[in-house]
Amino acid sequence: MFAFGDYDTTDLLWLGDWSTSWIALLVLIGLAVLAYSAFDLRNVARYRRWTLIGLRGLVYGLAVVLLLEPAIDMRDTSKIPNHVAVVVDQSMTMDLKVDGDGTTRMDRARQAITQLRSLQEDAGEDHHFDFFTYGEELAPASPASFAELEPRATAADLTGALEQVQEHYEGKDLGGVILISDGIDTGSIGLRKARGEEMDEFSRQFLESLNAPVHTLAAAGEEGLRDLAISRVLHDDFAFVHNSITVDVELQAIGMEATSVPVTLRRDGRVLQTRNIHVHPDETSYEVTFEFVPEQIGKEVYTVQVPKYEGEALYENNEHHFVLPVIRDRIRVLQVVGRPSWDQRFLRRLLKRNPNVELISFFILRTDQNPQIVPQSEMSLIPFPTDKLFDTELGSFDLVVFQNFNFRPYRMGHYLRNIDDFVREGGAFAMVGGDLSFASGEYARTPIEDLLPVQLPSSRARSEIMDSEDFRPQLTDAGDRHPITQLAFDPQRNREIWEELPPLRGTNVVAGAAEEATVLAEHPTIRGNRGEPMPVIAVAERGEGRVMAVTSDSTWRWGFEHVGEGGTPREYQNFWNSAIRWLIQDPELKLVRLDTKYDIIAPDAPLDATVSVYTPDYSPAVGAEGELRIEHTPLDAVAGGTERGAAHYDTVEFSTDHSGQWDLDRRFSEPGIYEFEVEVESRAGTLTDDNLVLVAPDVSQYRDIVPRNRLLEIIAEVTDGHHALLPDFDADDLQFKPPRHVEIHNRQIVQLWDNIFLFLVILTLLGVEWSLRRRWGRL
Amino acid sequence: MNRRRFLQILAAAGAASAASALPSGAFAFDRQHRITIARLDYPGGNSDPRPGALRRLLQEVDKRTSIEVNTNIATVSGRRDEIFEYPFLFMAGDGRFEPFDDDVIRDLRTYLLAGGFLFIDSADGVREGPFLESAERELARIFPDRDLVTLPRDHTVHETFYLIDRPLGRVDVAGNLRGIAEDDRMAVLVNSNDLLGALARDTFGNWEFDVIPGGDRQREMAFRLAINVVMYALTVNYKADQVHIPFILERRRWRVD
Repeated sequence: MFAFGDYDTTDLLWLGDWSTSWIALLVLIGLAVLAYSAFDLRNVARYRRWTLIGLRGLVYGLAVVLLLEPAIDMRDTSKIPNHVAVVVDQSMTMDLKVDGDGTTRMDRARQAITQLRSLQEDAGEDHHFDFFTYGEELAPASPASFAELEPRATAADLTGALEQVQEHYEGKDLGGVILISDGIDTGSIGLRKARGEEMDEFSRQFLESLNAPVHTLAAAGEEGLRDLAISRVLHDDFAFVHNSITVDVELQAIGMEATSVPVTLRRDGRVLQTRNIHVHPDETSYEVTFEFVPEQIGKEVYTVQVPKYEGEALYENNEHHFVLPVIRDRIRVLQVVGRPSWDQRFLRRLLKRNPNVELISFFILRTDQNPQIVPQSEMSLIPFPTDKLFDTELGSFDLVVFQNFNFRPYRMGHYLRNIDDFVREGGAFAMVGGDLSFASGEYARTPIEDLLPVQLPSSRARSEIMDSEDFRPQLTDAGDRHPITQLAFDPQRNREIWEELPPLRGTNVVAGAAEEATVLAEHPTIRGNRGEPMPVIAVAERGEGRVMAVTSDSTWRWGFEHVGEGGTPREYQNFWNSAIRWLIQDPELKLVRLDTKYDIIAPDAPLDATVSVYTPDYSPAVGAEGELRIEHTPLDAVAGGTERGAAHYDTVEFSTDHSGQWDLDRRFSEPGIYEFEVEVESRAGTLTDDNLVLVAPDVSQYRDIVPRNRLLEIIAEVTDGHHALLPDFDADDLQFKPPRHVEIHNRQIVQLWDNIFLFLVILTLLGVEWSLRRRWGRL
Repeated sequence: MNRRRFLQILAAAGAASAASALPSGAFAFDRQHRITIARLDYPGGNSDPRPGALRRLLQEVDKRTSIEVNTNIATVSGRRDEIFEYPFLFMAGDGRFEPFDDDVIRDLRTYLLAGGFLFIDSADGVREGPFLESAERELARIFPDRDLVTLPRDHTVHETFYLIDRPLGRVDVAGNLRGIAEDDRMAVLVNSNDLLGALARDTFGNWEFDVIPGGDRQREMAFRLAINVVMYALTVNYKADQVHIPFILERRRWRVD
């Protein structure tokens, strides 16, 4: 048995599984039956008629109730408390002082948390309080932990924290959020909603989707704050050498008197430029633009500075360091062609379409053998400026290509030494085949022969220096791996690709590979002087520069005829683009490389650096031994505070592993520039590379320290929460949503329809109706 | 067979025997680096209205420029297994012709997009003759998304070797070449002025056709256009390079004055 007193909640249930449309139909049938009864009894006295209709309606109604199966649901329940998330900002700005007695923003937060205790106690079974901190991300905490909490997070991702709160309570009952912060949001809402602007619709929708009030307790207001900060420095990720670059600096001044403030840009510690801004108390945001020209390739460390004024909240944001990688400008290529040909046309087209190449072409369109029957003024020909190209301007090029070009008719013999010097000082030179190239171009016993990666035959007999047969170049082992001829990473696939290319149509004959040259592809049948296969594609390092020889003038067929065979021009394009990159010593293709994952790291953060060493054919140099020297320049020297320069920090000897690499696992505690120079001895000579990393504390959180009370106020408004500026705060003002869920301890369902009494009532009513009807003369 | 035809056959046989007398390697060597032009053959029309004129054109290119030529003119259908051997196709005609097969249209499109060059020369002698109507119909099939545009007088093709003001041929019925652009170049050039008609000679070296309106200058200018077209196919926009511009401007100014 049960007693009603055991249950605190009672509900009426309908157990019959009748849809609304069925119920409507039953009602309509009932009404139709009653209407027919009224019509049928129209001649009966009124009170009799309505008595009979009433009885019939009552019976029908009870029958319908019987069908609907009514029951009483009785429950003994208790509430399940919902969750209230207390989210506390632990970013670095919370450590800033808010008044003269040394109270920090975090102290005010702690005080508020203490005040929340009474709220917690009063919440009873309605709310359960969960505590979190946030900086870079949300983390659980306990009320006791706040006493010791150090605000050290380098970000204040308020938006991210609210998103994570929403995620954390998905499917649970969130009664509200208490957000204690200075309002600085490095997350998306803070970035989208600039100071003084209204909340954007997207942010508003997100806050509303929390479906719970967010009570915001601002740890500090703007009053009394004095600070001059470099809030943002905007610059490109890299710069081109000798091309101007712009650096935009955004500054924030609060609590400053009217004054002129110099903003200084330093490069590697030395002052580069200074701009003055006029600070006015009514204005907080300022912008300065620097424009300068990087002078050399490599990484440069820049510093933007403003003076330190007395009484500022902090000085860490008065300077900003950044590293700017300076890379090569467009590659300047000089293409010299002895006569127009398809080989020249397709190579020029490829170079012209490469946005990284600035191409200067010179084609010999007419020679002394061509009769001059048309006045010069009616022709478009221009003089061949040999002196300008091969003397005064030669150094401005990165790569010189002689394509089927014989120098002798242009009296260029004395310029060939310049080309030799140009290469040995770091330039690049390529010779492409044709009947005016190599020995046919009379380069034997000239400085160019010393430069070339192939030896030239001494004979001048055309049949001995040219071969006209079609052939497919055969890759050497070096060719499998070398970036120029590696058209696919897998060597097997690479060889298949080369086999699928159209054959070359003839070749210049050379005597063999030159000293210290790397042969990438050979002729399948022609032999050199020493009996080895004749090189067709060969490369070499000459001094500081690089050279390449391609002995055929028909590589263009790889980009054209190959398309006709159903292929693509990609192989031709990749071959020549890779050749150019290798020739100009693209840093990506250096034989020794020191790569650092980051340009700037925090003190004691791990340095993720790797030294990679390759053999000249680009296979990994396993067990290569080398030395890494590290120099350190203190950060105050970078910022111009002292005259101290770079000092030796450490020297590390290393040996590469099976993949030709060595990982440098270091941590640097003292801030400053750490410059690395790696040196490896190889059969290609001494290989070097250098790099640097800036070790500096991450003070990004200090770039904007002005509390954003208004942002917190809007967040509260949008979510129907309460906003208070600490320390003025009354915990009773915080209202939360009541719990949505209850726990059922005991439940009883009493079925009302399954009862003999109801059947007896219906039978009785039917009997009365029958009896009255008979008595009143109705059948 | 009349005397003229007999002499033509005799001359052709002589040329063939002279060619066969050369060492086999010489022809192969020509193939390696010498420039030639392939004549596009097509069904249902006269694809060679000026026999021998193309060879004359190449001989003139060989004589006046540094380009080394192979004067053996190949005849190709528009199929990919033939045309990709020759980056320069010459299509001539003097009347209506039948539509190309769909395969040929597809192959020509691939060819032109890959870097091939097509020069269309009408021997009809009128600005809009039946040959050009048919040629334009086929061009619209090859490039349904591109228009045939009129080349301005300062287009590079007028400056590749000679400075040309007007593209003269046997006739002077059109003041401009027309073309279809692909990337930074014209992949197709169309000429209405019967260029080959001005270059054609008979076996004895006499001009086969009078030029209209006439004059040696007109024929010379036709040669210059022919050389410029070959030079354009090979050097494309070379003369648009910055280094050439001051010279060209200076000479054009000098000529105007």
